[in-house]
Amino acid sequence: MGLASAVLLAWAGVPLVQQHQLGAFAAIVALATAAELLLVRYPLRPEYPDRGVWLSVSTPVVIATALTYGWQFGVWLDAIISLIAGLVMTQLKGTRPRWAFINTAQSILSAAAAGYTAALLHPPYLSMLSLRSGGALVAGLAIYLLVNTVLVSITISIAESTRLGWVLKQTISSVPRDVALMVPISFLVALMLQLQGVVGLLGVLVPYLALRQAFVIWARQQALYHQTIRSLGFLVQRAHPYTGGHLQRVAQWARRVAERLGLPPERCELVYEAALLHDLGKTVLDERILNKPARLTPEEWEHVKKHPQLGAEILSDTPFLSQIVPWIALHHERPDGKGYPFGLNSDQIPLEARLIAVVDAFDAMIGGEAPNQKRLHRRPLSIEEAIAELERGAGTQFDAQVVDVFKQIVHEWQRQREQHTSKASK
Amino acid sequence: MHNIIWSIVVAIGSLMALAYYAFVVVPARLHRLHCEGVRAFARLIELRSGGRYGQAEPLRTLALAVAQRLGLPTREQRLLELAVYLRDIGMVAIPYHTLNKSTPLTEAERALLARHPEISASIVEQIPGLRQVAPLVHLHHVVYQEQPNAPLSAHLLSALEDWLRLAREHSSDLATSILRQGVGTRYHPQVVAAILEEVHQQGLYGRDLARSAALWL
Repeated sequence: MGLASAVLLAWAGVPLVQQHQLGAFAAIVALATAAELLLVRYPLRPEYPDRGVWLSVSTPVVIATALTYGWQFGVWLDAIISLIAGLVMTQLKGTRPRWAFINTAQSILSAAAAGYTAALLHPPYLSMLSLRSGGALVAGLAIYLLVNTVLVSITISIAESTRLGWVLKQTISSVPRDVALMVPISFLVALMLQLQGVVGLLGVLVPYLALRQAFVIWARQQALYHQTIRSLGFLVQRAHPYTGGHLQRVAQWARRVAERLGLPPERCELVYEAALLHDLGKTVLDERILNKPARLTPEEWEHVKKHPQLGAEILSDTPFLSQIVPWIALHHERPDGKGYPFGLNSDQIPLEARLIAVVDAFDAMIGGEAPNQKRLHRRPLSIEEAIAELERGAGTQFDAQVVDVFKQIVHEWQRQREQHTSKASK
Repeated sequence: MHNIIWSIVVAIGSLMALAYYAFVVVPARLHRLHCEGVRAFARLIELRSGGRYGQAEPLRTLALAVAQRLGLPTREQRLLELAVYLRDIGMVAIPYHTLNKSTPLTEAERALLARHPEISASIVEQIPGLRQVAPLVHLHHVVYQEQPNAPLSAHLLSALEDWLRLAREHSSDLATSILRQGVGTRYHPQVVAAILEEVHQQGLYGRDLARSAALWL
């Protein structure tokens, strides 16, 4: 990617800035840099609130420049501002230089593709006030955002070793919206450049701030969604003496099983969230019964058995979590119909609920649930014993297909861990 | 020339639309999502205490109406709405049997229960996106004489929650007279006036709320 962008830059050549354009060009660079630095972080996953994609809004200026002065100008402008932004990010936010470099290369490639298309549709130095120029502007913005989104998604999927499909699905849906929001700004910038109104460029900063505000709020919306889930998870944790990692571990295993079962990417995320919250109903129960070390009396057991439905009821008024409600309500059902609360048959229980049941049981059996607590009727099993237990229950207590897939995943994880430890001991 | 004027008008128009979208439409939608998310917290406490605490909907509707009457700005109304849902979340830390006791509470239990605003606030404090609601949650049972300078919305929550509880457990007449007695000592005068006006206007005045389902649906 770096090579391709270097070739492109060389091909574009250093565009000759004429004397009378110097002021305008300086103003554009300043404006675009300011826009590029108004960064907003967009989190992608609930477990990493501090990681995510950085969004910036310099694209409208780049496209307007390419339309007014030619695509080479657009490419160089984007290269310059990405480098400046990269420098600032490495200095201030501690981003690794590698990312700044990749980002610059991405920008150059996107700007070249977009600027070239726009210039084909509408040769530079023509009047901006025509349908054709409007079309060129929209096309330029759309191509820039598309190319950039695809490149960024590829980078993320490599860096986080996630599936490209999942990342693309999260990122690409916002392209039309972003194009629509950026068109007026880009048009205004182009108009100002045409009219040589350098001062007018300052006026563009106002809509810029509005656009940035919209980005900030989307990012917050995503963060908020994750926070709701994490804070509910926190309440579950303190309601029942789980050790730190139990819920997180169950959630991560569950997502991996869902991925392996070939569920669509966004569904795998929901499985993660549902697994994190599957015991939400326990926050409602009497903690004296939950924490009781001895065997429960029948009445106490009836009380505990209410928790799947209670958990579902807590979330029933929250539309953005409505999909996971049935999975939480049914995570103690069994394929043989002996589960609770309804005693449903295998084909009536959603796959996600069967999946969570297996993973949760496994982590509880190996003692992940409460290793510091001595339970009279329970002793932590080894991983092999726990797998054997799952296999014994396959088809009756546990879903056979899920157990099968989960077994593979656990074995792979063990192999990886062995390799890791043997490497470490060398 | 006409072309230029026309384009500038279009540009300014679309920029205004953009600004409206970014500063009005999107924040309102974000707030709705916020509320939908935190509603789960209120529901949790309602279930945990058998409906005794945490009930949000009647309080929310009335609180917003009274806030409008008091002329609170939109930002404060939104914080108030979030605080209604989050105020009792600290009750997850109060023992189950205390919350569900059918006999009167002991002195120690009452003291424990009185700490719930503090616990709620410390839980809310830990959720980055909701941190700004924590002070209001902390003050939702504020006493006028002790902290007359607390925000108006805190006084509103304190008085309105008492009114609703008394109206539900006894009668709205009793609730109203207790609020009147507490003016200047327990309750903020301006807030009590606004609450009683609102309640009067909604026709909840003098009606036996314990038997009226209209408000709760």
